[in-house]
Amino acid sequence: MIFIGAEEIISPLGQNIEENFQAVCENRSGISLIPHAGFNDDSMHLSKITAISDRNKFEMLLINILEKVLKQIDPEIALSKKTITIVSSTKGDLDRNISSPFTDSINAFARHFQLANEPVVVSNACISGVLAINVAGNFIKAGMYDHAIVLGCDLISNFVLFGFQSLFAVSNAPCAPFDADRNGITLGEGCSAVVLSNSKEIFKKTAFQLYTGTSANDANHISGPSRTGEGLFRSVKKTLEQNHISGNEIDFISAHGTATVFNDEMEAIAFDRLEINEKPLNSLKGYFGHTLGAAGVIETAISMQMMRNNLLVKSLGFKESGTSKTLNIATENKSSELNTILKTASGFGGCNASLVIRKL
Amino acid sequence: MDSLKEDLKKHIIEQLNLEDLTVSDIDDDALLFSADGIGLDSIDALELIVLMEKYYGIQVTNPDEGKVAFLSINTMADYIEKKRA
Amino acid sequence: MNSITAYCHIKDNVCSVNGEIFLQKNEESADSWFKQLYKELALEYPKFYKMDMLSQAGFLGSELIKKTNPGLLTDYADDEIALLFANSESSADTDIRFRESYLEKKTPSPSLFVYTLPNIVLGEIAIRNKWFGENMFAVLPKFTPDFFIQYGSVLLNTGSKAVLAGWLGILEGRVEVFMFLVETENKNGYPFDAENIRKYAGF
Repeated sequence: MIFIGAEEIISPLGQNIEENFQAVCENRSGISLIPHAGFNDDSMHLSKITAISDRNKFEMLLINILEKVLKQIDPEIALSKKTITIVSSTKGDLDRNISSPFTDSINAFARHFQLANEPVVVSNACISGVLAINVAGNFIKAGMYDHAIVLGCDLISNFVLFGFQSLFAVSNAPCAPFDADRNGITLGEGCSAVVLSNSKEIFKKTAFQLYTGTSANDANHISGPSRTGEGLFRSVKKTLEQNHISGNEIDFISAHGTATVFNDEMEAIAFDRLEINEKPLNSLKGYFGHTLGAAGVIETAISMQMMRNNLLVKSLGFKESGTSKTLNIATENKSSELNTILKTASGFGGCNASLVIRKL
Repeated sequence: MDSLKEDLKKHIIEQLNLEDLTVSDIDDDALLFSADGIGLDSIDALELIVLMEKYYGIQVTNPDEGKVAFLSINTMADYIEKKRA
Repeated sequence: MNSITAYCHIKDNVCSVNGEIFLQKNEESADSWFKQLYKELALEYPKFYKMDMLSQAGFLGSELIKKTNPGLLTDYADDEIALLFANSESSADTDIRFRESYLEKKTPSPSLFVYTLPNIVLGEIAIRNKWFGENMFAVLPKFTPDFFIQYGSVLLNTGSKAVLAGWLGILEGRVEVFMFLVETENKNGYPFDAENIRKYAGF
């Protein structure tokens, strides 16, 4: 069995998991209007961390988050040869060194904690976080490591913001996942961590069981979601089948929900094909923005907090159904027994990934 | 008209970063957005809109108009001529 | 037993398959090195021209491996071939060009931006072959045979029956590509271990 716990988040909503979850429970958003941020100097809605200076921000976030995590587990774990550290990120610190956006930050981070094994960076677009957790779980399942620390981190940069602007993919208002009026993403930055282990004894708080999932490619387009949701459909189907879990057992879906017209429609089609579209669902992008490579870890961490508190938090920004297939989107916070959750992600390159977490 | 088409091909190669193609690789009537043509997609359509404004001073505001205009080199050249007339 | 059943290299001016030279770069040619390879393979896939160098490299490597091992196309279901790629530069080659588009040319280029993720090459190969299997792109400080052994084995134990793996070193004109195929049910190969990967990679 693989255990997962010790979730942490640093984002505009707070410096630790408690502050972040508190903000989410109060339906507060980290998104604000930042003057002159965009290309052509336009003001942009962003979820930007202002409490940490921009210099070496990526490295500082990784160090800060692991320090917080170590308070939640047996700290010896971090130094063990049987522990692998996996960082999920799309762009690392590209303003520090565009030719090698991870090297300096990851080296400094590994030296700081004297990690026994060199960290592995999973850079697989917006599924990086979910994929990294699956990779970590598979390493443990195969007996290659006993423990894994998964850290998701991405920053807002001109590079990424101007890029999404050039695709006309940025919303002119805070993003509204699955809503009829959605018109694009809002970028966010954040850092999040979870710890995986073959032992539940290393965790100071209760851990959960992780059912590692699969990834699947749409084999359709590098930058447009599949019209049939094929990759997401296949990924979730396999994840459930391999773990002998039926769709009925899922209490809640933590969807990707970027708030682009085509992505959210694609997810609705995939969930409909999977016959799980009646399950309560939310997207957390309205709280954190789209944090790219960090998103899968942040959203898994919040989902674990939702399970700890048996509280289904509402999908911020959603008002009116705007997909061709109906979904059961959470419009209010609601007390609810949450035992089994499905987390999904989809991204550029046609990639999709999913995993399941269950209460012990 | 022929020099317009030549220029158009050069601009497309530059704007869409298709350095491996030469002007002679693109037929005047090849369907640009078909896999048998040069397989352009919606992202490239964004680049073509930029191209029209940058080199020909034409603003394509109606996406449906763009869809028809960007079918091939021939239709793009016609479109530019018409807008200039 | 898991075996390495095919491999290929693309370097600055030579390309080889299973250790035998496939093509040497013609320095006189007006065509880029990768276009020379594309022509030599006699492919009809115009999308190739739209790809950035990282995607072209992975695409060419996958075509070379298919050419020497046609069973890859016939012996597997559409989700049984996993793609496992890595390098140490991520998509820096195209990242630098995209940055130029907004810093120097003053127009951020969408067609460059969509290639500023290293895993796009996995999508290109998946689209070309209609492969719906597992995908993973990792960025590592240097070429690490153990990484491919470890995660390759995991993939082969969790449903994938073949792994198309590769190291795609592409930055500012330098090319260091090594791709290889690992299969579970094909015995005509070399044991899938770190020593063999190091040996066939040659770096």
